[in-house]
Amino acid sequence: LLTWFSSFGLFGSFIISAISNFIFIKPRATYGQPNRFSIGKPEDFPSGSRLSLDTRRVCIVREGDRLAAISTTCTHLGCIVAKSETGFACPCHGSRFDQDGNVTGGPAPRHLPWYQISLAPNGELEVDKDIEIEQGTYLRV
Amino acid sequence: MSDEKNATLWTTITRLPENVWHSVFRNPLPSSDLGRASTSFTNFFLHIHPVKTHRHSLKATYTFGLGLIAFFLFLVLAVTGVLLMFYYVPSTTQAYDRMLDLRGTVAFGIFLRNMHRWAAHGMVAVVFLHLCRVFLTGAYKPPREFNWVLGMVLLLLTFFSSFTGYLLPWDQLAFWAITVGTSIAGYAPVFGKEVRFLLLGDSTVGQEALLRFYVLHVAVLPTAMTLLVAIHFWRIRKDGGLSRPPEEDDLSIPQLQPVLRPVGADVAAAAAAPALAPVLPKRRYGIQGLVRGPFTKVGNVPDRSVFIWPDLFTAEVLVLVLTIAGVLVVSLFFNAPLEEPVNVMHPPNPAKAPWYFLGLQEMVSYSAFWGGIGIPTLEVLILLLVPYIDRRPVGVGKWFARERLLANSLFMTFVIVNIVLMVIGTFFRGPNWEFVSPW
Repeated sequence: LLTWFSSFGLFGSFIISAISNFIFIKPRATYGQPNRFSIGKPEDFPSGSRLSLDTRRVCIVREGDRLAAISTTCTHLGCIVAKSETGFACPCHGSRFDQDGNVTGGPAPRHLPWYQISLAPNGELEVDKDIEIEQGTYLRV
Repeated sequence: MSDEKNATLWTTITRLPENVWHSVFRNPLPSSDLGRASTSFTNFFLHIHPVKTHRHSLKATYTFGLGLIAFFLFLVLAVTGVLLMFYYVPSTTQAYDRMLDLRGTVAFGIFLRNMHRWAAHGMVAVVFLHLCRVFLTGAYKPPREFNWVLGMVLLLLTFFSSFTGYLLPWDQLAFWAITVGTSIAGYAPVFGKEVRFLLLGDSTVGQEALLRFYVLHVAVLPTAMTLLVAIHFWRIRKDGGLSRPPEEDDLSIPQLQPVLRPVGADVAAAAAAPALAPVLPKRRYGIQGLVRGPFTKVGNVPDRSVFIWPDLFTAEVLVLVLTIAGVLVVSLFFNAPLEEPVNVMHPPNPAKAPWYFLGLQEMVSYSAFWGGIGIPTLEVLILLLVPYIDRRPVGVGKWFARERLLANSLFMTFVIVNIVLMVIGTFFRGPNWEFVSPW
């Protein structure tokens, strides 16, 4: 019985310590960039402009009074896509996207996500990378 | 009385060096077989070896010393790595400057970094060649299956060590390699996203990720590897030494499944059949003979073994000297690459991993899941299972044995495909990973 108890205890401690190790290395607070940030007034983005905010990894597209925020993080393996003549191109593994972020070539499994963009009460535009919206959904200003 | 005391004191003093020497090295340089045996098992470093080993194990063209070279490179990496740790800070703002300091102000800094980097590249190559050697000589077959599995785990740990290592300079290669590498992990089914988050310690690549990879590189992985290397070596002996071809006159080889022979079986047999007693061998072997297989070989088979001291020992020292010489020469003439400092906004174009990961990168450029997770996992699983699938005890201990034509052909195909992918990734891929001609 003693053997049984001890082996049960040993096995149990092993399992518990393994689990607690995983809990330990999973951070509760992170120090990275916030996913929700403001990018300036709508006037900063003239009509027809496609401005890549590389530190935020998002491209602000403006056509007339319509605004959209398209991710510039490649959906393949996370490199930053660069603007090209036909849309976006990834330097790492050659994925290509059109102006709306649809995949036109390469290994990318899905289109570049569009993020929610809204007008904050102070008149500044705000992008929230936690909320993905459907392609072709624009903010009118 | 006083004279006698002085004389004792005098002998104590004059004999001091001798006594110290003999307390450390218990044996004089051996001149007899008994001495040679004694040298092997009274020295900590030599007693890892058996007293004698088969002559075939010493054939340079059989092993090419690849396992030993890999181990010595591991030692070089441990020593240079500890030295580099004195000057390295795992911080995104300081790491790159520390690399420049190694070049500029630290004595031998650049040389140590070169040694560490080139020994790491060499270790990846040599460990892989060691795997090829073991496969192509059929050395993974029973009873050595599990040592093959341990070797595979060591290969993976070598890859992971080198991956976590080249992130530490925090240059462009580091940042984009960690970005791509952890994204590949994110494609793993079920736990992919969690694994990625645990590796990065954050949702994006930054300080947390650098710290985590540093701890893995300098503490977790080397500890795991040291333990596994020890078991790997220990099992070589317990599995009966290095693989070798069967010998027709060796009574211990023909049986297919080696079994532990119960101690005392001979004694019982002798007691049961007293008529046979006169022809029984006079010598009995004690507990030290308890290894796999029949152990009363003395006198039954021609002796093809050689003493560890000096035969194997000198061979090992030679390999050690050649390994270190190789690392030193390469480090003198070639500097370890260091790219631009991290620019989180612009990946280099093309962003290429070191040569040994370019085959993987080439596969990933077709499909992230299949190239980065699916196919590599299948390859590793198949390689792990090889000794449990191919159990026919034929063609062991011979390069490219005729009986193993199928297995060897399949394996060579696997190797060549991977080398071709690596060559394509290295020479035929340009900006945006588009096909370019190197000429």
